[in-house]
Amino acid sequence: MKRDWTRRRAPLALAVAVVVSVVAVVAVVSATTTREGVALSIAIDLAIACVTTLSQPDLKSSHPVVSRAALTLLGLDVAIFITFFLNSSTNFNLATGAAMSIVLLGLSFLTGASGQISLGNGAFMGVGAFAMAIWSNHHATTPIFLTLLIAVGCGALVGLLLGLPATRLRGPYLAGMTLAFAVAFTFILSSFSSWTGGDSGLQLPTEASAPRWLDGFFHAGTSPLTTTTLYITDVAIIVAGVAFFFMANLFASRTGRAMRLIRDNDVAAELVGISLPRARVVAFIVSSAYAALGGALLTLINNSVSPATYSFALSVTILSLIVIGGIGTISGAVIGGIIYAFSTNVISWITTQTGLNPQGNFASQLNGIIFGGLLILTMLFAPLGISGAVRHLWSRVRARTQG
Amino acid sequence: MDPFLTSRIVTDVLGGLTNGVIFGMVALSLVLIWRSTGVLNFAQGAMPMFATYVGFALLSYHFGYWACVVACVIVGLLIGGLTERLLVRGLYGKPEINPIVVMVGFLIVLEAVAAAIWSSFPRSLPTPFSFKDWQLAGKPLALSPFTVYEIVTALIVMTAVAVLFRFTKLGLQLRASAVAPEVSRLLGVRVGRLLTLGWMLSTVVGVITTILVASNLFQGLTPTVMDGIFAYGFIAAAIGGLESPVGAIVAGVLLGIINQFVTDYVNQNAVIIIALVLLIVSLMIRPSGVFTKRSERRV
Repeated sequence: MKRDWTRRRAPLALAVAVVVSVVAVVAVVSATTTREGVALSIAIDLAIACVTTLSQPDLKSSHPVVSRAALTLLGLDVAIFITFFLNSSTNFNLATGAAMSIVLLGLSFLTGASGQISLGNGAFMGVGAFAMAIWSNHHATTPIFLTLLIAVGCGALVGLLLGLPATRLRGPYLAGMTLAFAVAFTFILSSFSSWTGGDSGLQLPTEASAPRWLDGFFHAGTSPLTTTTLYITDVAIIVAGVAFFFMANLFASRTGRAMRLIRDNDVAAELVGISLPRARVVAFIVSSAYAALGGALLTLINNSVSPATYSFALSVTILSLIVIGGIGTISGAVIGGIIYAFSTNVISWITTQTGLNPQGNFASQLNGIIFGGLLILTMLFAPLGISGAVRHLWSRVRARTQG
Repeated sequence: MDPFLTSRIVTDVLGGLTNGVIFGMVALSLVLIWRSTGVLNFAQGAMPMFATYVGFALLSYHFGYWACVVACVIVGLLIGGLTERLLVRGLYGKPEINPIVVMVGFLIVLEAVAAAIWSSFPRSLPTPFSFKDWQLAGKPLALSPFTVYEIVTALIVMTAVAVLFRFTKLGLQLRASAVAPEVSRLLGVRVGRLLTLGWMLSTVVGVITTILVASNLFQGLTPTVMDGIFAYGFIAAAIGGLESPVGAIVAGVLLGIINQFVTDYVNQNAVIIIALVLLIVSLMIRPSGVFTKRSERRV
């Protein structure tokens, strides 16, 4: 009896909590005049609403989607709240990290769910990045989110094209084919230089800025440069949040379970009626669409796109990040994104601490040496990356405390 | 003299042949490792690159070209053997993405370390042969002493590998331990050693290829010298079938000739795109390669 009641209570609680917080916000807005006060109260109310929902017993098993939504909202709320207190260079790094984490999520899904591997996700990122730039140069008035969707569509389409042969390929063939695509991509770009701007790439026609009705929040007495960065960072974080929410549901859905079965035993999967080629193509398309979304966001963040960014080296970096973070996991993509966001800072810190000549050969190659080395060590000693290692430690600690 | 030999088509075929044997050798070295250990070695370009840098470091001690080549081969043997023992040995039987990821990591590390030590500026290697094309009735024939040296070396290497595998006891053991490692072990074959040997052999084939590529007048030795060539080598190996050494070589040579025609009649940018299309089409028609016997995957 009690269980049944809780089951019905959980989504109700979320609704009530959201209504309460909206009422509270309206009350606060009418009471205070400072923008910071409003922002703070929204953030706190939303956090309370999410925590209330999450604290419902059995929520995770009875209403997994609600639970994930609340968790995503809570994460977004905290992350966006934090961005208001950071300087613009840190925000810029965070935005890049958020964009990269979307790409990593796609690769994590491809490998973790269906056991395929791609060395071409940097090129798929480039597809999205250039689609974004080309579209906004031709149709400057399209809203950002629509342009992002168009870029995702382009990525999915190219993913479908390359995914068709992928249905029949096993590991090494697929890896090699995507590698060939990654190597070919810069040549493809320069073949269509009238569209892609050749070696210099493209600029976005206008810098993205906050829409009028949000203006107040983003112009609270700071310089326009800071507010624009802040706005774009928050857009990137929100987009990443939505992408993570979708992916978490996909991982847990029927399709996700079918794909994990394919990864573990493809023959068994076929015997229970899963169509292998279709599942493989779907996984490949999802992964390339996510990569394209990340690339498009990166164009938005940088306000420009250059073909040199989308070389084979980027695909290799993507692979390193997700393997170090934890391939096949969602948290691994977050960890990888954070590593990417701050890797440049950390490496320049190492350079100054060790007294290396920052213009020297060694310092400029430090990035490759560290990432490559970590990639090998992770795969040899902790194949599930940081995420897997932490989970392993946690389960051991729990086993010990429970006797 | 016959103008046919200096015509555009023959020029393209000869030019393509020179590139083609290079692709064929890279494809062969990939197949050697794939057949014996089931690993697609993504560092197959970087390992020989590193060995070539180390070997040609002897130049500054006033050693000659051939001494450097021998040094490169010895370093290649060492790198190949050590890689198999230290990096790859633990990965047999693991999910197939594990060795791919490790070898990609090794590729990054080798290229970064090489650039850190020797910088990424091209370093020109000495060559014992001239690059000047022979003339036929006042027109250049697309062959020079150097390209003949390239083609002949490639043929020697390919023949040597074929003879080793077909006609020697060692070759028989190598093939046996690739096909049926357990049975071979029971019959007294030291399978572990042979796997190491397979990697050493493949790296030596790679070293010879890299020296030929890097000695080319227009190229020079850089840490990333083999990246593009590796991509073409892989495309050739995949089209020919990773199981078939002959298929890999034939596909490599054909790919080289096709590339040359595309360069001549379309443009430079289209080359890798056409190669990619060829790869995709051939994989859709025959996923395990054109030259391999179709075999059902065992469950």
